[in-house]
Amino acid sequence: MANVLEISGLSKRFGSKQALADVTLSVPENCVFGFVGRNGAGKTTTMKSIIGLLKPDGGDITVCGEKVTYGGTRTNRFIGCLPDVPEFYGCMTAREYMTLCGQIAGMKAPDIKARTDELLELVGLSDEKHRVRGYSRGMKQRLGIAQALINRPKLLICDEPTSALDPVGRREILDILKDAGKQTSVFFSTHILTDVERICDRVAFLEGGRVALSGEIDEIRKMRSDTAVEVLPENPSDAALLKEKFPSGEVRDGCFILKNASPTDAEALMGFLLEHHIPVVRFERREPDLEDMFMEVIGK
Amino acid sequence: MKFLRNFVTFTGKELLELHRSGRLLLLTILFTAFGVMNPAMAKLTPWLLRTMSDSLEASGITITEVNVTAMDSWVQFFKNMPMAMLLVLVMFGGIFTSEYSKGTLIPLLAKGLRRNAVSAAKTFAMLLVWSVGYLLSYGVTFFYSDYYWDNSAVKNYAFAAFGLWLFGVLLVCSITFFSSFADSAAQVLLGTGGVYFVLYLLGAVGKVREYLPSYLTRSGELLTGQAKPSDYAAAVCVTAVASIVLLIASIPLTAKRRL
Repeated sequence: MANVLEISGLSKRFGSKQALADVTLSVPENCVFGFVGRNGAGKTTTMKSIIGLLKPDGGDITVCGEKVTYGGTRTNRFIGCLPDVPEFYGCMTAREYMTLCGQIAGMKAPDIKARTDELLELVGLSDEKHRVRGYSRGMKQRLGIAQALINRPKLLICDEPTSALDPVGRREILDILKDAGKQTSVFFSTHILTDVERICDRVAFLEGGRVALSGEIDEIRKMRSDTAVEVLPENPSDAALLKEKFPSGEVRDGCFILKNASPTDAEALMGFLLEHHIPVVRFERREPDLEDMFMEVIGK
Repeated sequence: MKFLRNFVTFTGKELLELHRSGRLLLLTILFTAFGVMNPAMAKLTPWLLRTMSDSLEASGITITEVNVTAMDSWVQFFKNMPMAMLLVLVMFGGIFTSEYSKGTLIPLLAKGLRRNAVSAAKTFAMLLVWSVGYLLSYGVTFFYSDYYWDNSAVKNYAFAAFGLWLFGVLLVCSITFFSSFADSAAQVLLGTGGVYFVLYLLGAVGKVREYLPSYLTRSGELLTGQAKPSDYAAAVCVTAVASIVLLIASIPLTAKRRL
């Protein structure tokens, strides 16, 4: 299947700051794509370029096979967009705002009505009668997703949809995005890696204006197979004992860590603990997580 | 077609906002008040002078008879309407920039809303408010001046009122123009005020002033019949053309604006 979004060689400079150097990535259909980077890595710049709000210095962006032009809005008919801090007209209700969005997208009145009911139900705002002025951040974020989806976009772009929310609100937004991902491709930026692990199929790490690493989450996980085993003995001196037996390991903060431990290694370690009756507070086999990958990618 | 659809939708949104924020009601009250004030002031002048006559007499001024006509009411109208114009301008100074700074346009632009439809709708909403409000004040003044006195004693008041209205149109268009690159309502108003100031300065230079939009604000000679509407033809043309030029110039600037 063709890619919904393709970016190649995108670059943008603000004054002396090279925001994007050479961003290349592609988002296939029906995929939840995590776009990860530190604050100021260029995530928002990339996203604004996709919806034609910024003029890139170089490179191409195509959405559903059509080239994006700056200031033009033709390709935006494929796109639903949720800005980082969505602001809506405070004097309107959610329903009125959805109607406004539908009209601007050129939808027919009965379709707008049906779609509004459906989406407000999805984001849990269907019983909300108040005006947007009094909404919390989480509610605005939810309305933001609903308005972005009204014209059945092929691509939903969300700029850090969860970063300002409390844990409950975050979970709700992630669930909604995951649901949305069944109908459309979701391209969302974040710096919260657990969010990515929870809902994304693919991920790209942005660092220094370039895509440092990208691919399917499972593949990326496999790239690093150095599962570590961590043992925290009750008696700190026992850690040294373990180090003697397993010289490839290391002791850190009273904790014995055996890197690149195969299941056999783990078994041997456990056998040793049992044999010598070493009391243990914690025995853990640690999968490499995205955070490790991310730290490695940004060289920290 | 799409532009027209966007324009109608967005104008609806602007008017809804004006209504819900209470500004429409406020302006209706203000413009009615401005309309009533003119004949009222004229009507009250003799009474005011009479109550003050004692103190005036003490300072050597004697008042014999004060004869008030519709002229006094219309003179008040042309004194007060610039104030109403100022209120409208201040109220609308941030009509564009507040949306830019809050980012409320971004979700809609991302849905394909055209930028020039936004500018057109906002300019139209401002012009509508200014025109309807102005007409309200004009109507009230017209009615009471004719009821208490006789409007036929005053010359060219309709044309003079048209001139002042057109000057307001120019300033509304300059709000649209300055909003295409300014960042805040203060900058927009500074720019619009700058336009007025430059016109005022140029007006001091002899012959040029007949061609300037600010010439339209001089109603005195029209009302007494010392000047005819045709004397103002140049200023009317310049003002109309300048308004259109400002609007056209704002189109590419708004399109290029970084959001």
